[in-house]
Amino acid sequence: MKRYSFLALASVLLLSVLCVYSVSQAANTIKVGIVDTYTGPATTFTNDVLDGFKLAVQKINASGGILGRKIEYTTRDEKFKPDIGLAMAKELVLKEKVDILMGTINSATTLAISDFVRKEKIPFFVTFAKSDKIVAEKGHRYIFNMNENTEMAGRAAAIALAKKPYVKYWIAGDDYEYGHAIAEGVWDNLKKLKPSVQKVGETWWKVGEADFTPYITQILAAKPDFIIVATGGSGMVNFQKAAKATGLSQKVPFYQHTATELSVLAPQGQNAPEGVYGTANYFFYYPDTAQNKAFVADFKKAYNRNPRIGALYGYMTAQFIAEGYKKAGKIDKEKFVTALEGMSLDSPVGKLEIRKCDHQLLLPMYFGVTKKDAKYEFLTASGIETIQGKDYVPSCEEVLKHRKK
Amino acid sequence: MESVLGFISPKILSQILVGLSRTVILFIVSSGLSLILGVLRIPNVAHGSLYMIGAFMAYTVSHLFGGGNMGFWMALVLAPLGVAVVSFAAERSLFQFLYEREHLMLLLLTFAMSLVFGDLVKMVWGGEYRSVPVPSIFQGYINLFGGLPFPIYSFFLLVVGPVIAILLWLLTNKTKIGKISRAAAVDREMVGAVGINVSWVFATVFIIGCLLAGLGGVLVAPTVSVTLGMDHTLIMEAFLIVIMGGLGNVWGALLGSLIFGLTQSLGILVWPQFGIVFPYLAVVVVLLFRPTGLLRSTW
Repeated sequence: MKRYSFLALASVLLLSVLCVYSVSQAANTIKVGIVDTYTGPATTFTNDVLDGFKLAVQKINASGGILGRKIEYTTRDEKFKPDIGLAMAKELVLKEKVDILMGTINSATTLAISDFVRKEKIPFFVTFAKSDKIVAEKGHRYIFNMNENTEMAGRAAAIALAKKPYVKYWIAGDDYEYGHAIAEGVWDNLKKLKPSVQKVGETWWKVGEADFTPYITQILAAKPDFIIVATGGSGMVNFQKAAKATGLSQKVPFYQHTATELSVLAPQGQNAPEGVYGTANYFFYYPDTAQNKAFVADFKKAYNRNPRIGALYGYMTAQFIAEGYKKAGKIDKEKFVTALEGMSLDSPVGKLEIRKCDHQLLLPMYFGVTKKDAKYEFLTASGIETIQGKDYVPSCEEVLKHRKK
Repeated sequence: MESVLGFISPKILSQILVGLSRTVILFIVSSGLSLILGVLRIPNVAHGSLYMIGAFMAYTVSHLFGGGNMGFWMALVLAPLGVAVVSFAAERSLFQFLYEREHLMLLLLTFAMSLVFGDLVKMVWGGEYRSVPVPSIFQGYINLFGGLPFPIYSFFLLVVGPVIAILLWLLTNKTKIGKISRAAAVDREMVGAVGINVSWVFATVFIIGCLLAGLGGVLVAPTVSVTLGMDHTLIMEAFLIVIMGGLGNVWGALLGSLIFGLTQSLGILVWPQFGIVFPYLAVVVVLLFRPTGLLRSTW
């Protein structure tokens, strides 16, 4: 017991020191608290968000900050656990007195923090959590969604797939919420756009499945025209490797959300399967514009690697925070939120708008197919079809309909 | 006879073969777990971590040797040895002092070790997905029974599995250390009393068990993305297999792996939407009728 009380005492002392420090700082900085998963497999994605954010913050601070104040940030590791994430968000708001919260990759954590910031009236920028409830059912004035969600990914894919000649579809995926949400998103929208499609069957495997061969042979025996594969995380690579080993990718075309993303293709090098359809919000090599090139060059210079989608989320979040305060003209949360509504900014992927009605960032979605590329050591997306945000993001009415209860 | 052959359709044959190749990795890992469980009486939750470390080491070794065929063969030899070194360090520094503790303590301790190993892997290799390419001689697939594809690498696994099983049989039945360890599993005081250094016997068995985990990790690496968290799913399955087969019985691990692998691949054929429930259903059925496992448990 004695040891615990010592620990408690020590942490109280430490916290009070930190508090004094932060109070002295608070007068001339804008504090951003970042709650995200920094342990375990999710770090593949979250480190990019943080690095993109840091890059933008350094630039903003170097050019004098916002309204004479510098942006200061502090991170907390929620370990992919909603209860820890919520406790950390509370600590950041109540003790650290942060002005803004951002994070997380975990949808459950995001929804928990969302409830909390609604009461505390703290602006919260969501980076990476993919649940469509974040802006729909559980949306409110203080939450900003900086990434796509499962419903949007599904719609974007459905728009592109509806133009393809395939009729007999098979649906397969990781048996958890994200997998089912992606599969439903694609399938429901595809049926609306092209009523002639039919579902021949479904396969669901457990998250973390290591061997897909038995599933693939079973799907092949049913002879579908096309397979919608709703995998996430490491399942993306695992399925592609199995598709390559069984020759699936040459026999039946399939789609995975984020199949063309660098995090999935880079580890596989030249061995990734060609001809896999995928949707993604960002590539370091596309669009081939001056803004994107400049962003990639900056990012590479700072971190010695190519930026991936998370880097764009983090980078743009910092930009919107800066411009939001500039437009608000003073450090005031309500004015800040109002200023951001409908604001659009230049980004590496063109002009991006935060929609007024639901605070959703309208990102373009790129539908493409994996292909070998002599310029790189890994496969890239080719034949890219750009689907603009306004075309695939659910309309304001559709989103707000969910909020009324 | 005709009707029997008709029933065994190409689809079923293909699923059986695919299920068998899956069994190999499950068997290699769970036999190591069972060995440690039987002789040392440690329910080693960190066994999965050693499997993960094996896969990460395979990545490093295969890249050091240029990522081609040579890389794979070197990984197959060096990575399990690397895991053996890690496990040797863990055994001498920690586990050897804990053999007399109760099982709950050991369970907690090894669980803690799995977290420590997880963080160590993150520190050494980072959070990125890693991939070990399939060696070029095993790349591709062949069409079996009615044109259903079967990866060549899975054939390789089908060869490795029986080899490992035979080596394990030779080790436990024909070598001195095998005989001593079987005796130690039954009565460790008596083995100590006849003048054998039980501590070193245990260390050897522990290292062999972990080596098997590492080998499983190397063999699985070309088929999956090597990533943090790959230990969690496997350790669950390995424990179920060991429980189903009979605690501490290496042949029980083989039987359990066969049941686990085959019920899954055939289950997918019967009911693709719920293919994952069949292996677990098999565990439930086995435990209902034979609560101590299919084969004689050494506990």
